[in-house]
Amino acid sequence: MAAANLNTIRATIEQLLATELALAPAYPVVFNNVPYAPTPNSTWVQCQLNFGNNNYLTMGGTTGSSNSIIGIILVNIFTPKGAGAGANFTIGKRVRDVYNRSKVSGVIFDAPTGPEVMAPPSPEGYFQTQVRLTFETFEDL
Amino acid sequence: MAFFRGEQGSVKFEDTGSTATAITSTRSWSMTVEKDVLETTSLGATYKANVGGLIAGSGTVEVLYTASSSDETNVFIEAANTATDAGVASFELFLDTTGTKKITFVGLITSAEYSATVGELEVITCNFVTSGAITLSI
Repeated sequence: MAAANLNTIRATIEQLLATELALAPAYPVVFNNVPYAPTPNSTWVQCQLNFGNNNYLTMGGTTGSSNSIIGIILVNIFTPKGAGAGANFTIGKRVRDVYNRSKVSGVIFDAPTGPEVMAPPSPEGYFQTQVRLTFETFEDL
Repeated sequence: MAFFRGEQGSVKFEDTGSTATAITSTRSWSMTVEKDVLETTSLGATYKANVGGLIAGSGTVEVLYTASSSDETNVFIEAANTATDAGVASFELFLDTTGTKKITFVGLITSAEYSATVGELEVITCNFVTSGAITLSI
Protein backbone atom coordinates (compact mmCIF):
# COMPACT_ATOMS: atom_id res chain seq x y z
CA MET A 1 0.00 0.00 0.00
CA ALA A 2 1.02 3.60 -0.13
CA ALA A 3 0.38 6.93 1.45
CA ALA A 4 -3.19 8.12 1.05
CA ASN A 5 -3.98 10.25 -1.98
CA LEU A 6 -6.06 13.07 -0.53
CA ASN A 7 -7.30 14.14 -3.93
CA THR A 8 -8.66 10.65 -4.58
CA ILE A 9 -10.50 10.77 -1.28
CA ARG A 10 -11.81 14.26 -2.06
CA ALA A 11 -12.97 13.19 -5.51
CA THR A 12 -14.76 10.15 -4.07
CA ILE A 13 -16.65 12.26 -1.58
CA GLU A 14 -17.52 15.05 -3.98
CA GLN A 15 -18.58 12.69 -6.75
CA LEU A 16 -21.17 11.07 -4.52
CA LEU A 17 -22.87 14.40 -3.92
CA ALA A 18 -22.49 15.60 -7.51
CA THR A 19 -24.08 12.41 -8.82
CA GLU A 20 -27.02 12.61 -6.43
CA LEU A 21 -27.78 16.27 -7.12
CA ALA A 22 -27.50 15.74 -10.87
CA LEU A 23 -30.62 13.59 -10.63
CA ALA A 24 -34.01 15.24 -11.08
CA PRO A 25 -34.70 17.66 -9.61
CA ALA A 26 -31.09 18.70 -10.20
CA TYR A 27 -29.38 21.53 -8.36
CA PRO A 28 -26.03 23.23 -8.86
CA VAL A 29 -23.33 22.09 -6.44
CA VAL A 30 -20.34 24.27 -5.65
CA PHE A 31 -17.19 22.70 -4.23
CA ASN A 32 -14.13 24.19 -2.54
CA ASN A 33 -12.43 27.02 -4.41
CA VAL A 34 -14.81 26.96 -7.37
CA PRO A 35 -16.14 30.38 -8.43
CA TYR A 36 -19.93 30.61 -8.40
CA ALA A 37 -22.29 33.55 -8.54
CA PRO A 38 -25.70 32.32 -7.36
CA THR A 39 -28.82 33.64 -9.01
CA PRO A 40 -30.98 35.50 -6.47
CA ASN A 41 -33.83 33.37 -5.12
CA SER A 42 -32.42 30.22 -6.69
CA THR A 43 -31.66 26.88 -5.08
CA TRP A 44 -28.09 25.71 -4.85
CA VAL A 45 -25.78 23.65 -2.69
CA GLN A 46 -22.29 24.32 -1.40
CA CYS A 47 -19.99 21.49 -0.30
CA GLN A 48 -16.90 22.15 1.79
CA LEU A 49 -14.56 19.33 2.62
CA ASN A 50 -11.83 19.60 5.22
CA PHE A 51 -9.25 17.09 6.27
CA GLY A 52 -8.71 17.22 10.00
CA ASN A 53 -7.02 15.01 12.54
CA ASN A 54 -4.64 12.29 11.50
CA ASN A 55 -3.81 9.69 14.09
CA TYR A 56 -1.49 6.76 14.56
CA LEU A 57 -3.42 3.53 14.31
CA THR A 58 -0.71 0.94 14.63
CA MET A 59 2.91 0.59 15.60
CA GLY A 60 5.54 0.73 12.89
CA GLY A 61 7.59 3.17 10.86
CA THR A 62 7.12 4.42 7.34
CA THR A 63 6.18 0.94 6.14
CA GLY A 64 3.94 -1.72 7.55
CA SER A 65 1.95 0.73 9.61
CA SER A 66 -1.44 2.42 9.43
CA ASN A 67 -2.83 5.87 10.10
CA SER A 68 -6.33 7.19 10.49
CA ILE A 69 -7.37 10.21 8.43
CA ILE A 70 -10.45 12.02 9.67
CA GLY A 71 -12.26 14.85 7.94
CA ILE A 72 -15.49 16.77 7.92
CA ILE A 73 -17.97 17.51 5.16
CA LEU A 74 -20.09 20.65 5.39
CA VAL A 75 -22.97 20.90 2.96
CA ASN A 76 -24.80 24.23 2.88
CA ILE A 77 -28.21 24.16 1.22
CA PHE A 78 -29.64 27.44 -0.06
CA THR A 79 -33.27 27.81 -1.10
CA PRO A 80 -35.39 30.91 -1.82
CA LYS A 81 -36.14 33.13 1.16
CA GLY A 82 -39.76 33.27 2.36
CA ALA A 83 -40.80 29.99 0.71
CA GLY A 84 -40.83 27.79 3.79
CA ALA A 85 -38.43 25.05 4.84
CA GLY A 86 -39.90 22.06 3.00
CA ALA A 87 -37.95 22.29 -0.24
CA ASN A 88 -34.73 22.87 1.66
CA PHE A 89 -35.25 19.90 3.96
CA THR A 90 -36.07 17.70 0.98
CA ILE A 91 -32.64 18.44 -0.41
CA GLY A 92 -31.21 17.95 3.06
CA LYS A 93 -32.64 14.45 3.15
CA ARG A 94 -31.07 13.66 -0.20
CA VAL A 95 -27.70 14.89 1.07
CA ARG A 96 -28.00 12.84 4.26
CA ASP A 97 -28.97 9.73 2.37
CA VAL A 98 -25.92 10.01 0.13
CA TYR A 99 -23.50 9.55 3.00
CA ASN A 100 -25.41 8.21 5.99
CA ARG A 101 -23.31 5.40 7.57
CA SER A 102 -22.05 4.28 4.19
CA LYS A 103 -18.62 3.07 3.15
CA VAL A 104 -17.42 3.94 -0.34
CA SER A 105 -13.93 3.25 -1.70
CA GLY A 106 -12.54 2.86 1.79
CA VAL A 107 -14.08 6.08 3.09
CA ILE A 108 -16.39 5.52 6.07
CA PHE A 109 -19.09 8.13 6.61
CA ASP A 110 -20.55 8.72 10.05
CA ALA A 111 -24.14 9.60 10.84
CA PRO A 112 -24.87 13.13 9.53
CA THR A 113 -25.96 16.09 11.64
CA GLY A 114 -28.69 18.38 10.31
CA PRO A 115 -30.09 19.86 8.20
CA GLU A 116 -29.61 22.62 10.75
CA VAL A 117 -31.00 26.08 10.04
CA MET A 118 -28.23 28.66 9.74
CA ALA A 119 -29.13 32.16 10.86
CA PRO A 120 -28.12 34.50 9.48
CA PRO A 121 -27.50 32.83 6.15
CA SER A 122 -24.24 33.38 4.35
CA PRO A 123 -24.60 34.76 1.74
CA GLU A 124 -27.69 36.76 2.72
CA GLY A 125 -30.93 36.52 0.79
CA TYR A 126 -31.55 32.77 1.13
CA PHE A 127 -32.94 30.25 3.55
CA GLN A 128 -29.88 28.22 4.53
CA THR A 129 -29.48 24.91 6.27
CA GLN A 130 -26.36 22.88 6.87
CA VAL A 131 -25.75 19.13 6.85
CA ARG A 132 -22.42 18.09 8.26
CA LEU A 133 -20.74 14.82 8.94
CA THR A 134 -17.36 13.37 9.70
CA PHE A 135 -15.62 10.72 7.67
CA GLU A 136 -12.67 8.45 8.27
CA THR A 137 -10.33 6.56 6.03
CA PHE A 138 -7.29 4.43 6.74
CA GLU A 139 -3.85 4.89 5.32
CA ASP A 140 -1.70 1.75 5.04
CA LEU A 141 1.98 2.50 4.61
CA MET B 1 19.70 12.09 24.26
CA ALA B 2 17.64 9.54 22.41
CA PHE B 3 13.97 9.17 23.21
CA PHE B 4 11.54 6.73 21.73
CA ARG B 5 7.85 6.91 20.89
CA GLY B 6 5.37 4.10 21.08
CA GLU B 7 4.92 3.80 17.34
CA GLN B 8 8.52 2.65 17.13
CA GLY B 9 7.58 -0.55 18.92
CA SER B 10 6.32 -3.80 17.46
CA VAL B 11 5.52 -7.38 18.39
CA LYS B 12 6.62 -10.69 16.92
CA PHE B 13 5.11 -14.07 17.78
CA GLU B 14 5.22 -17.70 16.75
CA ASP B 15 3.02 -20.22 18.49
CA THR B 16 5.21 -23.29 18.02
CA GLY B 17 8.37 -21.65 19.24
CA SER B 18 10.19 -21.25 15.96
CA THR B 19 11.26 -17.89 14.48
CA ALA B 20 8.78 -15.22 15.48
CA THR B 21 7.10 -13.12 12.79
CA ALA B 22 5.49 -9.72 12.96
CA ILE B 23 2.00 -9.27 14.34
CA THR B 24 0.30 -6.76 12.07
CA SER B 25 -1.85 -3.88 13.26
CA THR B 26 -0.41 -3.90 16.76
CA ARG B 27 -1.59 -0.85 18.65
CA SER B 28 0.23 -1.27 21.93
CA TRP B 29 2.05 -3.68 24.17
CA SER B 30 3.08 -3.69 27.78
CA MET B 31 4.95 -6.11 29.98
CA THR B 32 5.67 -6.44 33.66
CA VAL B 33 8.59 -8.48 34.96
CA GLU B 34 8.08 -9.51 38.56
CA LYS B 35 10.41 -11.13 41.05
CA ASP B 36 9.28 -13.02 44.10
CA VAL B 37 10.65 -11.68 47.33
CA LEU B 38 11.85 -13.99 50.08
CA GLU B 39 12.29 -12.52 53.52
CA THR B 40 15.54 -13.43 55.26
CA THR B 41 15.25 -11.29 58.34
CA SER B 42 17.21 -12.64 61.26
CA LEU B 43 15.61 -13.07 64.66
CA GLY B 44 16.16 -9.93 66.68
CA ALA B 45 16.92 -7.76 63.67
CA THR B 46 15.57 -4.23 63.54
CA TYR B 47 15.17 -4.08 59.78
CA LYS B 48 13.74 -6.58 57.38
CA ALA B 49 15.99 -8.31 54.89
CA ASN B 50 14.91 -9.80 51.58
CA VAL B 51 16.38 -11.73 48.72
CA GLY B 52 15.07 -12.12 45.23
CA GLY B 53 13.29 -15.29 44.22
CA LEU B 54 11.71 -16.60 41.06
CA ILE B 55 11.16 -14.24 38.14
CA ALA B 56 8.16 -14.20 35.86
CA GLY B 57 6.65 -11.86 33.34
CA SER B 58 3.18 -11.01 32.11
CA GLY B 59 1.68 -8.44 29.85
CA THR B 60 -0.76 -7.34 27.20
CA VAL B 61 -0.78 -6.78 23.47
CA GLU B 62 -3.52 -4.77 21.79
CA VAL B 63 -4.25 -5.58 18.15
CA LEU B 64 -6.67 -3.90 15.75
CA TYR B 65 -8.86 -6.50 14.10
CA THR B 66 -8.16 -6.73 10.36
CA ALA B 67 -9.54 -10.18 9.49
CA SER B 68 -5.98 -11.16 8.67
CA SER B 69 -5.69 -14.90 8.13
CA SER B 70 -2.53 -15.38 6.14
CA ASP B 71 0.01 -14.61 8.81
CA GLU B 72 0.75 -15.18 12.48
CA THR B 73 -1.63 -12.44 13.56
CA ASN B 74 -4.63 -14.72 13.26
CA VAL B 75 -2.87 -17.41 15.28
CA PHE B 76 -1.99 -14.83 17.89
CA ILE B 77 -5.54 -13.62 18.45
CA GLU B 78 -6.90 -17.18 18.59
CA ALA B 79 -4.13 -18.64 20.76
CA ALA B 80 -6.09 -18.27 23.99
CA ASN B 81 -8.67 -20.71 22.66
CA THR B 82 -6.34 -23.62 21.97
CA ALA B 83 -7.22 -26.86 23.75
CA THR B 84 -3.70 -27.73 24.77
CA ASP B 85 -0.92 -25.24 25.08
CA ALA B 86 2.61 -26.34 25.85
CA GLY B 87 3.66 -22.77 26.57
CA VAL B 88 6.38 -22.76 23.93
CA ALA B 89 5.35 -19.75 21.86
CA SER B 90 8.09 -17.29 20.92
CA PHE B 91 7.53 -13.66 21.81
CA GLU B 92 9.60 -10.63 20.88
CA LEU B 93 8.51 -7.21 22.10
CA PHE B 94 10.40 -4.43 20.34
CA LEU B 95 11.08 -0.95 21.68
CA ASP B 96 12.49 0.55 18.51
CA THR B 97 12.32 0.06 14.77
CA THR B 98 15.94 -1.02 14.38
CA GLY B 99 15.01 -4.41 15.77
CA THR B 100 17.82 -4.52 18.31
CA LYS B 101 16.05 -3.23 21.39
CA LYS B 102 13.70 -5.96 22.48
CA ILE B 103 12.41 -8.31 25.17
CA THR B 104 12.53 -11.96 24.20
CA PHE B 105 10.89 -14.86 25.97
CA VAL B 106 8.85 -18.02 25.60
CA GLY B 107 5.33 -18.03 26.92
CA LEU B 108 1.67 -18.44 26.22
CA ILE B 109 -1.44 -16.40 25.62
CA THR B 110 -3.70 -16.72 28.64
CA SER B 111 -6.69 -14.64 27.63
CA ALA B 112 -8.10 -12.59 24.80
CA GLU B 113 -10.78 -9.93 24.91
CA TYR B 114 -12.63 -9.31 21.67
CA SER B 115 -14.69 -6.15 21.42
CA ALA B 116 -16.72 -4.11 19.00
CA THR B 117 -18.11 -0.66 19.78
CA VAL B 118 -20.17 1.51 17.45
CA GLY B 119 -18.04 4.18 15.82
CA GLU B 120 -14.75 2.73 17.03
CA LEU B 121 -12.15 0.40 15.62
CA GLU B 122 -12.43 -3.19 16.75
CA VAL B 123 -9.72 -4.09 19.22
CA ILE B 124 -8.51 -7.45 20.50
CA THR B 125 -6.56 -7.46 23.75
CA CYS B 126 -4.38 -10.51 24.40
CA ASN B 127 -2.77 -11.21 27.74
CA PHE B 128 0.29 -13.40 28.10
CA VAL B 129 2.60 -14.89 30.71
CA THR B 130 6.18 -15.99 30.32
CA SER B 131 7.48 -19.52 30.69
CA GLY B 132 11.18 -19.64 31.39
CA ALA B 133 13.91 -17.11 30.86
CA ILE B 134 13.28 -13.51 29.90
CA THR B 135 15.99 -11.82 27.85
CA LEU B 136 16.15 -8.06 28.07
CA SER B 137 18.10 -6.57 25.17
CA ILE B 138 17.23 -3.02 25.90
